[in-house]
Amino acid sequence: MRRVILILAACATLGLVGGGAIVGLGLYNVSAQAGHWPGVGWVLHTTFRNSVRLRAPDMSKAPDLSDPDLVALGAGHYASACAPCHAEPGGERTATMRAMEPAPPRIEEAVAHWQPNHLHWIVENGAKMTGMPPWPAEDRGDEVWAVVAYLEAVRVGTAPALPDPGVGGYCATCHGPVGGEVPRLDIQTPGYLERAMRDYATGARPSGIMAHAVSLLEDDEMVDVARYLSGEVRDTPPPPAGDARPGGEDLARRGTRDVPACVACHGPGPRLDGRDRDRFPSLAGQHEAFLATQLTLWRDGVRTGSALMTAAARDLTDEQIDMLASWYSRQPPEEVEDD
Amino acid sequence: MRGCDGTLWPSLPCSRFLLSSSALLALSSCGGRQSALSPAGEDAAAIGTLFWVTLAIAVVLFIAMNALFVFAIRTRTFTLDPETARWILVLGGIVLPTVVVGGLLVWGLSLLPDQRQPGDGLRVRVVAEQWWWRVEYFPEGAEEPIVSANEIRFPAGQRTELVLGSDDVIHSLWIPALGGKMDMFPGRETFISLRPTEPGIYRGQCAEFCGASHAWMAFEAVVMEPDAFDAWLAAEAEDAAEPVEGAAARGRDLFLAEGCGACHAIRGTDAIGQVGPDLTHVGSRESLGAGRLGVTLDDFATWIAHTDDLKPEVEMPAYDHLTDAELADLAAYLGGLE
Repeated sequence: MRRVILILAACATLGLVGGGAIVGLGLYNVSAQAGHWPGVGWVLHTTFRNSVRLRAPDMSKAPDLSDPDLVALGAGHYASACAPCHAEPGGERTATMRAMEPAPPRIEEAVAHWQPNHLHWIVENGAKMTGMPPWPAEDRGDEVWAVVAYLEAVRVGTAPALPDPGVGGYCATCHGPVGGEVPRLDIQTPGYLERAMRDYATGARPSGIMAHAVSLLEDDEMVDVARYLSGEVRDTPPPPAGDARPGGEDLARRGTRDVPACVACHGPGPRLDGRDRDRFPSLAGQHEAFLATQLTLWRDGVRTGSALMTAAARDLTDEQIDMLASWYSRQPPEEVEDD
Repeated sequence: MRGCDGTLWPSLPCSRFLLSSSALLALSSCGGRQSALSPAGEDAAAIGTLFWVTLAIAVVLFIAMNALFVFAIRTRTFTLDPETARWILVLGGIVLPTVVVGGLLVWGLSLLPDQRQPGDGLRVRVVAEQWWWRVEYFPEGAEEPIVSANEIRFPAGQRTELVLGSDDVIHSLWIPALGGKMDMFPGRETFISLRPTEPGIYRGQCAEFCGASHAWMAFEAVVMEPDAFDAWLAAEAEDAAEPVEGAAARGRDLFLAEGCGACHAIRGTDAIGQVGPDLTHVGSRESLGAGRLGVTLDDFATWIAHTDDLKPEVEMPAYDHLTDAELADLAAYLGGLE
C-alpha cells in the first residue's frame, strides 16, 4: 500500500514539474499555423455543438422572427458587428478572416445547421477559444432576437440587402426607416440623445446593439450626431393603425395609486412646458414595440440609472405596459425646440 | 410627567404610584400626547377606567396573596381540618377568580360596541399605505371626499366614524389618547368610531408591523372645537393657494418641471398624481413624512433631499440632485400651501 502511494506521489510530482515547464518555459507551440493535432478539432467542435444544444433557450420566449422591423434591425447590427468576420450573404470573407483558427464560417454555412434558439444562444454567449465574442451587454437577450431574425432570414433566403450607410451615416440606417424595437430619435432633444449615447458607451444603459454602435464614434462626435438626429423628421414609419387600447390614456394622464402619471415628466401636453426634455424623453409618437420593451426593462430592473423611473415602473403590469405603449405610439409627436 | 394628574385616578399620588409600579411605565407611558393613560376622548376614557380598575384589583390580589403566603408559612400555628381547607380552595381558587375575571371580561366586552356606535355625521376614510395614511373626509351627505393625508382632524364632542382599509399589507390605526386600536386590511373594510372631548394635538401610530419603516408610520390626530373644525374643513376643501412670485412661484415651477405631480396631487394645479400623499394644504399640517419631521421650511428641504435616509425603503426617491437653492424654493412653495 505504502509503495503504491509513493509511486502515485512520484507521478504527480513529475506531472506538476512537466506541466510547469510547458507553461513556464513556453514549450507548447501556440502557432495557429501549426493547426490542431488530429482529432482535437473534432473533439472541440463536437463539444461546442452539444454544449449549445444543451443550453439553448426555449423558443417560447422568441418574438415573431419574420417581423420586417426586427429583421432590418438585425441586418443593421450584422452589417457592422458581424460581417467583418462572417461576410455579407453571398460575399466572401477576407483572406485574413479565412486564416483564423478556427476560421469564422461564411454566414450561410454558419446558420445552415442551427435552429433559431441555438443561434440565439451562440450570439448571446459567444464561444470560448474561437474568436466568437459574447453579446456586449448583460441581460439583453431580448435584443439578440433581432440578429437571430436576420440570420433566420439568411437561412431561408429572404434576407434583405445589408443597409448602406450612405449620406446619413450608420445611425440613420436604423433610426428613421426602421420601426418596431428601433426608437425614432427626431422627437428627442440633442441633450437627451447625447446623454443616451454616453450611457450606452459606459454601459450605464445596457444594450449590445447600441454599445457597439456608439463604440464606432469618437467622444467629440457624439454632440454632432445628437444634433443631426434630433429634430428633423426623416422617413419614419407611419403610426400604428387602429385605435389605442382602452385605458392607456387615462393611465398615462392620471396614473393610479401604484403608477405615477407618465405625462408629468414625459408629456405630451402644454401644461408642463417647463419640463426638462434633456432629462425626460418625449414619448408621444414613439414606436410601440420600443416603448413596451423599455418599460419592461425598467420594471424588471435591467435598465436602471434613474431612481425616479425605477420607482415609477416598479408596479406596472404587462397589460398596463401594453396599454401605455399603445396610447403613446398613437399620439402626434411634440416639436423639439432649437436651443 | 404631565398627564398623570389628569388621569382617572387623581387620588393616587403620582410619584409614589410610579415608584411602586414598573419603571418602564414611568419612562414611557404615563402622559404625553400618545398615551392611553391621558385620555382625551370618551372611548379612551372608558378603556382607561377599565385599565385602572383591572390594575387596582390586580394590586389588591397580589398583596393579599403574598400576605396569605407569609401567614401560611411563618405565622400559622394551627392546622385546618380538611373540610375547611377544601372550602377555602373552592372559594378562593375557583369562585373568586371566576367572578373577578368574568366580571372584568363582561365589562370589557360591553365597551366594544361603544367604539362602533354610529357617528354624528362626519365620516373619515383612512387607507393605510407603506408608510403613510390617505385621509378622506365625508361631511354628512357628501358624495365626493375632501382629500388630505397623514393627519386626522376631529370635531370635539362629536362622534366621528372612521372607515379603515389598506392598499398593501396589514396595518393598524391607534390613537392611544382617543381610543382604538383597529386593524386595517387590504381588500376589507373595518370600522371604528371615536368621540374626542379635549381639543389638542395627539399622536397616532401604526400598531401592526408593516415593513421597514413601520416605526416611522405615525400621524397627528388634531381635535378642534366644532366651529374651528368646520372652518378648517371648508378651507381644506379649497384648491391650493396660487403663489404670486418669488421663491414660492419658482418652487411651483420646479415642482411641475421635476415631475412631482406624477405622484402628488395639488388641487388647482396640473399635479394630479395619486401614488403619494395629496399636498394641496401640506403647509397647514403638523408633520411631514407621516409624523417623521416637523413642518419648518428646513424640514421640507431635508425631507425632499433625504427621503430614504429618513424613512428606509420609502417609495419616494430622494431628490438629492437638487441644489440647496432649489430645495429652498420648493420648501417655500410647499410650506406656503396652507
